Amino acid sequence: MVAQGQKRKLHKEDERGGSAWESQLQSVLDISMDKFHRDQALMEPCLLRSVLINNTLRQVQSEVRTQVESLSAVKSPTKLKPEPDFTQLSPPAEHNAPLLSPNAENIEDTFMAWTSEEDFSLSSAISGILKDLDAVIDAGQGPCASQRAPLSSVENLTPCPLRTERTSDMASSVKTELMCPQDVALDKLLLDIDTAVFEPEVNLLQGFSVTTEDLVKYLPSLSKSPSASSSSSLVSHCQATWEIQEIEHVMDILMRTYPQS
Amino acid sequence: MMAGVGGGNDFQWCFSQVKGAIDEDVAEADIISTVEFNYSGELLATGDKGGRVVIFQREQESKNRLLSRGEYNVYSTFQSHEPEFDYLKSLEIEEKINKIRWLPQQNAAHFLLSANDKTIKLWKISERDKRAEGYNLKDEDGRLQDQFRITTLRVPVLMPMDLMVEASPRRIFANAHTYHINSISVNSDYETYLSADDLRINLWHLEITDRSFNIVDIKPANMEELTEVITAAECHPHQCNVFVYSSSKGTIRLCDMRAAALCDRHSKFFEEPEDPSSRSFFSEIISSISDVKFSHSGRYMMTRDYLSVKVWDLNMENRPVETYQVHEYLRSKLCSLYENDCIFDKFECCWNGSDSAIMTGSYNNFFRMFDRNTRRDITLEASRENSKPRAILKPRKVCTGGKRKKDEISVDSLDFNKKILHTAWHPKENVIAVAATNNLYIFQDKMN
Repeated sequence: MVAQGQKRKLHKEDERGGSAWESQLQSVLDISMDKFHRDQALMEPCLLRSVLINNTLRQVQSEVRTQVESLSAVKSPTKLKPEPDFTQLSPPAEHNAPLLSPNAENIEDTFMAWTSEEDFSLSSAISGILKDLDAVIDAGQGPCASQRAPLSSVENLTPCPLRTERTSDMASSVKTELMCPQDVALDKLLLDIDTAVFEPEVNLLQGFSVTTEDLVKYLPSLSKSPSASSSSSLVSHCQATWEIQEIEHVMDILMRTYPQS
Repeated sequence: MMAGVGGGNDFQWCFSQVKGAIDEDVAEADIISTVEFNYSGELLATGDKGGRVVIFQREQESKNRLLSRGEYNVYSTFQSHEPEFDYLKSLEIEEKINKIRWLPQQNAAHFLLSANDKTIKLWKISERDKRAEGYNLKDEDGRLQDQFRITTLRVPVLMPMDLMVEASPRRIFANAHTYHINSISVNSDYETYLSADDLRINLWHLEITDRSFNIVDIKPANMEELTEVITAAECHPHQCNVFVYSSSKGTIRLCDMRAAALCDRHSKFFEEPEDPSSRSFFSEIISSISDVKFSHSGRYMMTRDYLSVKVWDLNMENRPVETYQVHEYLRSKLCSLYENDCIFDKFECCWNGSDSAIMTGSYNNFFRMFDRNTRRDITLEASRENSKPRAILKPRKVCTGGKRKKDEISVDSLDFNKKILHTAWHPKENVIAVAATNNLYIFQDKMN
């Protein structure tokens, strides 16, 4: 496991360490989600077990967020040359820069500087995970009211509390996420660490207002995309353009919600 | 590995007896779920998943016998708990006996508490070896005679009969636990006892069944905020106002019932700081304490987490005074053990009578003993292969890497289905009871 705060180099060699951490993270997440679902199917799951599994899932989410933060902390202060060298990213992406808020300009540059496709897919995957975790929280407020979370005893059948501050409490956001069936989608998202295919209909500028139906709609397209480990396909020009734009939006939102101290 | 744990340099453990079916197919109901000696060590009780309690009694020692110690034979068997159905919540309540605790003997009868997930019962086990005969109240057919037909007063005479051991439920303490009971503990005042579930601890009076006092409640207002549960609780052996409870986060809280009616605020808080170099995704799970036991002296307590046993001095809260690694070779396998659920196994631990040694179980039917004075430890196995009468147990060793020596077993060959979760040590002698799934092994020391 990569130690927290350790800077990741812009080098393909380093990707191996990141992959090992990521694969362990993914294993733990997969196993935990599987257990969580199996326990949810039980009428009365063991409380100790549920608490331990939930805490592990929270830890996984915390690790993911920390990794994203450390990545953005490493990248954004760097003053990069105006003409970044990108071999696989399409030149038209550059033109999108003026459309973004000034805040995101540096972030855009840092992303442009990533020549490695794996790096690119990793960061997009991580930001995709975070985006969808938050989206699921919003989407899940309605449907999960009728579901009994494993931590709720039968005597405590209350609807999900309304969350006014999504990002304030990481732990509570995971809890709500865990209560919703949309986490199946998360599983699939995490499996696919290639550049996630976002439907153009998803307008991230709306904020996190993705509905459950929208999210479910993405699943077929996501599962069809090949995983990064086996994929050698190049990202198409249009896709890259659109994806970079989406990532910039995501990073922008992340920067706003997690202001650097 | 040095033999000698528990009684000195010449000490060796020998096989004594094994109880239970030899059949490879283990019936779920026969799986032993708790083992406990009584205060004198004369009686040994086991509870199983089928809700039954079997009590063994030690034979009187005979000078003519070759065996140095008496054998344990079945004394009484009874069905303690039955499966129940909670109609309100549509949940089945398992009959599995989670814990048995003996009461100190105060008359000819023996008393024990047995608990399943929801209900605790006080059982009286008494002997009957005489029968009153000579009643003139019934005729030859057994029908009660008409009162007017009885003309003489005949006092019945007590005649000897075959020994009969009867178990009768004297008290039923029910409906006090919403969550699953994990511990019961008799107080040193011999009048009260505590019962603990995942979120609450209740104090009972042995005579009163219709109410109990709630003394600890860690249930949050919003269950979604729950991150920690109670895993075990025990009363102090001498101070009737003191008890401890352990948590799933590896902490122990000592509470004084004199301080307040509700002991949510602890008097002492025991926690060892985490070693940052060994932090992993599983750190919290393996820190969860599965058992806590006071020493007989009352000065120390012992906790069992997934990989180690720790001895704490009650006067020092910031770290344990002793730590013993039970199966450190499993640390690199935690992900697999998480996947196959073994990481959630709850191992118990116990002290010997003099508090000089501790014992706990492991996998592959191995169990471990640690001598606190000599710092020696030993790994032994409970298996049918080593079950010749008075056969000396050979120490076992797990090969952790490199070349496997003869008689060693590699970590990958360990059978994780053969787990020793429950062990008990005779309060006065070197006799131990080890539960291996559906078999109960009794080992004792070899008299020189």
